[in-house]
Amino acid sequence: MRTTPATPAPRAISAPRATLTTPASRDTRAISATRGIPAGRASRSACGRAAGAAGALPVLAAVLAASAGCGIGGGDGSSVADKRSLVIGVKADQPGLGLKGPNGAYDGFDVQVATYVAGRLGVPRDRIRFRTTPSSERERALARGDVDLIFATYSITATRKQQVTFGGPYYVPHQDTLVRADEGSIKNVRDLKGRRICAVTGSNSWRRVIEERKVAATPVQAATYGQCMDKLAANQLDAVSTDDVILAGFAAGRERFRIVNAPFTDEKYGVGIKKGDLKGCEAVNRAITEMYQDGQAQRFLERWFQRSGLKLTTSVPQFEGCS
Amino acid sequence: MTTTPARPAKTSTTSGTSGGGAARTAAPSGRASGPSRAAPPERRRSGLVTFVRGRWLGTIPGRIRTYVALALVAAGALAAVLGIAIGDARDSVRTIGRDAGPQVVATGSLYFALSDMDAQVANILLIGREHGLGIGYDESQRVYRQRRDEAGAAAVQAAQLAGRDPHLRQRVQAVLTGLGRYEQLAGEAMLLDRQADHAAGEPPRQVVETYRQATDLMKLELLPQAYNLTLDSGASVRQTYETKRSAVLDGRTWVAVTGVLLLAVLLAAQLYLARGFRRLVNPGLALATVATAALVVAGLGELSAQADHIRKAKLNGFDSVLTLSRARAISHSAFADESRYLLDPDKADTYEQTYFDKLLSVLYTSLDGKPVNLDNYYTAFDRTVGAYLSGRSGTSFLGFFGDERRTARPGSEEASLKRTLRAYGAVIDNDQSVRRLAAGGDRAGAIALRMDRGKAIHDFDAYDAALRSLTATHQAAFDGAIKAADDGLDGWTVLPPAAAVVIAALTIAGVRPRLAEFR
Repeated sequence: MRTTPATPAPRAISAPRATLTTPASRDTRAISATRGIPAGRASRSACGRAAGAAGALPVLAAVLAASAGCGIGGGDGSSVADKRSLVIGVKADQPGLGLKGPNGAYDGFDVQVATYVAGRLGVPRDRIRFRTTPSSERERALARGDVDLIFATYSITATRKQQVTFGGPYYVPHQDTLVRADEGSIKNVRDLKGRRICAVTGSNSWRRVIEERKVAATPVQAATYGQCMDKLAANQLDAVSTDDVILAGFAAGRERFRIVNAPFTDEKYGVGIKKGDLKGCEAVNRAITEMYQDGQAQRFLERWFQRSGLKLTTSVPQFEGCS
Repeated sequence: MTTTPARPAKTSTTSGTSGGGAARTAAPSGRASGPSRAAPPERRRSGLVTFVRGRWLGTIPGRIRTYVALALVAAGALAAVLGIAIGDARDSVRTIGRDAGPQVVATGSLYFALSDMDAQVANILLIGREHGLGIGYDESQRVYRQRRDEAGAAAVQAAQLAGRDPHLRQRVQAVLTGLGRYEQLAGEAMLLDRQADHAAGEPPRQVVETYRQATDLMKLELLPQAYNLTLDSGASVRQTYETKRSAVLDGRTWVAVTGVLLLAVLLAAQLYLARGFRRLVNPGLALATVATAALVVAGLGELSAQADHIRKAKLNGFDSVLTLSRARAISHSAFADESRYLLDPDKADTYEQTYFDKLLSVLYTSLDGKPVNLDNYYTAFDRTVGAYLSGRSGTSFLGFFGDERRTARPGSEEASLKRTLRAYGAVIDNDQSVRRLAAGGDRAGAIALRMDRGKAIHDFDAYDAALRSLTATHQAAFDGAIKAADDGLDGWTVLPPAAAVVIAALTIAGVRPRLAEFR
């Protein structure tokens, strides 16, 4: 399966510097005119070049810059839409979503979506570096600039929106509950009353049960969902309640676990972007729209979750809006 | 454009006063130019040689022609940068005023109509055979059909506004196609509902399951598509605003630079002629200078005014219209989630969670570290909004209304926002009562309250009306700024090149008699 979408070679960038002024600016306009293909970075570099090469003739520079649609406020240069390479934060321990293989390569639904979106932003696969970003690290990693984008089962919440700009959501999973196969008394979230559930640091899921639904379950701390599974198997807790796609990944191929299939929320998996990068957020949203339009989203979903029997939604989710 | 001034036809000297001028050379080079011109046989060859060697620069006519050439180039550049800056202003007015602004309204109406169709269906199924509950069965049916027609009309309008963009048109078309499927499913659910003849709040399983298909289609496909179209218009306005407005401002700088350049050339020419020909003022050049100054001042004024109109249209108008239409869309869908919460107990948890999520995006307030749930939110909402309404400082809230609060100007906008929040508070209070009744097992009481035309429905309608009137305030600010920008641009297409031609003609006319003295 082709995972990297066909993207135009970043022409303006590979072209030799300061040789072609007018053709470069024309080129940029041609790219920008094609809707949906990220033209931001091409136009930015061409803008600088047109102005630079014509520096000796200020009037000419102004005319060129104006005709190429360049403006000072066009971007502050730090937008993910303008980057030549990207560091993308993903999970390393979530089968089906973000899993680091023995050879060090990451794979999963999130990883594939990230690769597609980066491709639409003009960054081919060989210029993407994936980086493990645990739930508790996500906001800090973005703020510090350790990662440019996060595709790591990152639910958009009102609280997180204060620190992070969210593109997407690229998928809307639902919270469900995973139990041991021999567990018969847990049929929905209310049955978790008095039972031990897994509380992963930095994750919102257990709060949805205990705080939002006000089900008096006992949280048992764990660092990752992988640990939750070990504890569930070892009878150190009774249930793991989180997004169905996460549960599906862990349940796949394990006879010992069972999803109770009583979804009780709509989550929103967003793309974490540094707070304030609206241009990057809009570019990410365009890429996600295209991913659903060209059928790739459906292919990714089917590849990773079809066997789990989850009901998959293959139309574009309602975006959060960039803020 | 020609850079050589027209050759004078006259050969005789017309003016006696400057008779000695030919002997004077302003430049210290002292290279005699008169003699070379005076020798007809060698004239062409030596003229070429002088040109190549740059000697013509040293001649008086050469100097004058250089000034003229510089003036013409500068006038051309001035017209060009002014034309480009005006073009940028025009582009931004077109994008913001004629495409994206109306598109936000059209797609906003589309979302509202779709979401209200589904809400009406939920109400019809919820009341069952008790046709008098709420706004009543017949009225719900009528509103449903009306919203369907409105959705169709809004989609057609959105498709027209998408105009040149095939991708956008395709996405609008997808909404219309989905709407057909939705109607079929909703119709089926309503038919089953009539046949079941059930009591309020007790629709049979088959009805609920058919409705779930319909509402899922609406919620998962149609509404997201419509909402994303609105967001797209917002994105295109933001991009246009950032690039085009700064292009207009950059253009303003370049108009000033080229204008000063042209003025400098004209003044230098004036001085040169005054000294060389002992004349006080060259009338042609003087007029060209005045015309240039007038063009530059008018151009700078116009560009500043345009940048200001664009800023007002975006910040005082468009941004708020976009924010408030999102708030309206999300509020309607939350209100419908409240009916669905009662209609479909199996999915009540999900409907309550999505409802809460929507409340948070409309108005987010800190829960002071308390667990994030609806109960704590009600308390925090009352405290925060109450403090804001009573004018206490230091209260802060985020979400759509938080954004609106930051941009609303004191006076009518702020008063209108306060009216809206007061009405919204009543809606939230009703919701709290409905949920308390439902949680306490009194479903009939909850349904009666939710369907109470004098209470829950009345309060929601009042909130909706207040929200629309607040939006209208911003819409008026937007329309006003766009109209001002449009009016200001009238005539600016022809003015820069026409003014440049006039300046060029005056310059040439001014120096022509002086050049003629050398023939």
